Amino acid sequence: MDDDIADILASVSAPALPVRTLDLQALTRAWVNERTAPELLPYPTDLVDRVMERIGKQISTIEAMSGTMDPQANFTLVILQTELERFKFLVRSFLRARIAKIDTYALHYATLPSQLSPLERQYLQSHQSLISIHYSTSFLSTFPTSLQKLDDTAGGISMVDKPDEDAAVFCRVLKDTGNVEIQGISEVAEIEMKRGDVRVLRWSAVKEAVERGDVELI
Amino acid sequence: MALPLPPGLTPSEVGFLCEMEQVTIIPRQRLDGLELLGGPTEPLRPPFPVPLPLWLALLLKKQKRADISPPTWLSVEVLTQILDFEMDERTAELFSPSQDLPAPTTTAPLDGDPYLAHDALELSPPFLKDAATSRAQKDALPYHWNELGHLLLTHAADNFVEPDMVRKLLRDLREVRMSKLRKGFKVLDAGAGTQLNNVGGMEIAEVRGFVVGVVDGLRRLNHSREESRKEREDEERENGIGSSSYRDDEDEDML
Repeated sequence: MDDDIADILASVSAPALPVRTLDLQALTRAWVNERTAPELLPYPTDLVDRVMERIGKQISTIEAMSGTMDPQANFTLVILQTELERFKFLVRSFLRARIAKIDTYALHYATLPSQLSPLERQYLQSHQSLISIHYSTSFLSTFPTSLQKLDDTAGGISMVDKPDEDAAVFCRVLKDTGNVEIQGISEVAEIEMKRGDVRVLRWSAVKEAVERGDVELI
Repeated sequence: MALPLPPGLTPSEVGFLCEMEQVTIIPRQRLDGLELLGGPTEPLRPPFPVPLPLWLALLLKKQKRADISPPTWLSVEVLTQILDFEMDERTAELFSPSQDLPAPTTTAPLDGDPYLAHDALELSPPFLKDAATSRAQKDALPYHWNELGHLLLTHAADNFVEPDMVRKLLRDLREVRMSKLRKGFKVLDAGAGTQLNNVGGMEIAEVRGFVVGVVDGLRRLNHSREESRKEREDEERENGIGSSSYRDDEDEDML
């Protein structure tokens, strides 16, 4: 009973942020996470669709406003254009970071299509086919037939490059999540994650927490 | 097409991120409220102060349509106090406390929620409320203190009471904190887990390359030792403790 009252009071006294601001925070976090993590994170389809739709609408608003040459409106136009450029930078940098990871670990992500958007899957297919055609015409066709595979997994070592899951990342804890296991050289330790901690940890230790939203990369 | 940069934000990207922080401005001209992509802005009616994102505040300042009111923590008294705290011998291992965090307002995501659903999205810098406005906490530095101080001093120096003193104090603070960070490099180890509470955004960007390189390098060097330890532990778990005859102390016995 008391908790309900507290919740109601909290929602009334602290007005919720508009959806657009929450989307900007989500997009910024997605960008920073993608730029910092060694691995491809799940694609935030709804978020990107909403943001792209709003960008499209803003572009048409700006085009409509460019007709009038009223000095006051001119300045508003400058502000809108500046903000649009900032948003486009965020989205572009986010997508380019993902493409860089897809390019480097193409064969690995070909087996994990759920992390990619439909456009990224198309890109992966065409990129892979172009590369394999290029390789086979330049040198691969001269190899013995048994050595011509690009994704050979025989012989103990796989040719498919996986992203380094133990790379060090800087992270900030957003919610108290309890303990996280750390693999030391001679022992396994557990550390507690409290809200506000900034730590250097292995990606494998924080990966799930980042996907849940308890920890963010910085 | 693909981004050629290594993982981790560059300092200019940290600066881009900092430009989304809210600051208080005092407008000189009227301007109607705008519907920006990031949310609505309040209308500007001089002389009432209004919070706006830093990029917009800098734009208005450059066009002489507004003055930026420096955040409460960017003054000579507060910075001197924080510098004294940092330089005190008793705090050689710590950074000065950063601004208090509000209690978390979101809950854990449900199973069906996508990555970054709004319900589980906890606010963090640069979107924390009042980190750099005139209502900011007076005795603590926010995450983007360095970038904010630098940008405001470069573009709005005339809105400060003593800009040269503030510049000098910011420089001194930066040097003290960087030297603390560098001393902390001694405790870096392959297992990671080093704690760096209250550090700033630009400071992390500066040391990121080195720290990540060291931790990854140590991990690679000790990879085989870790593997053998893991195998030993797995064996022990399967067969019961005491069944494995390999001892780690053998290395020390050989000295």
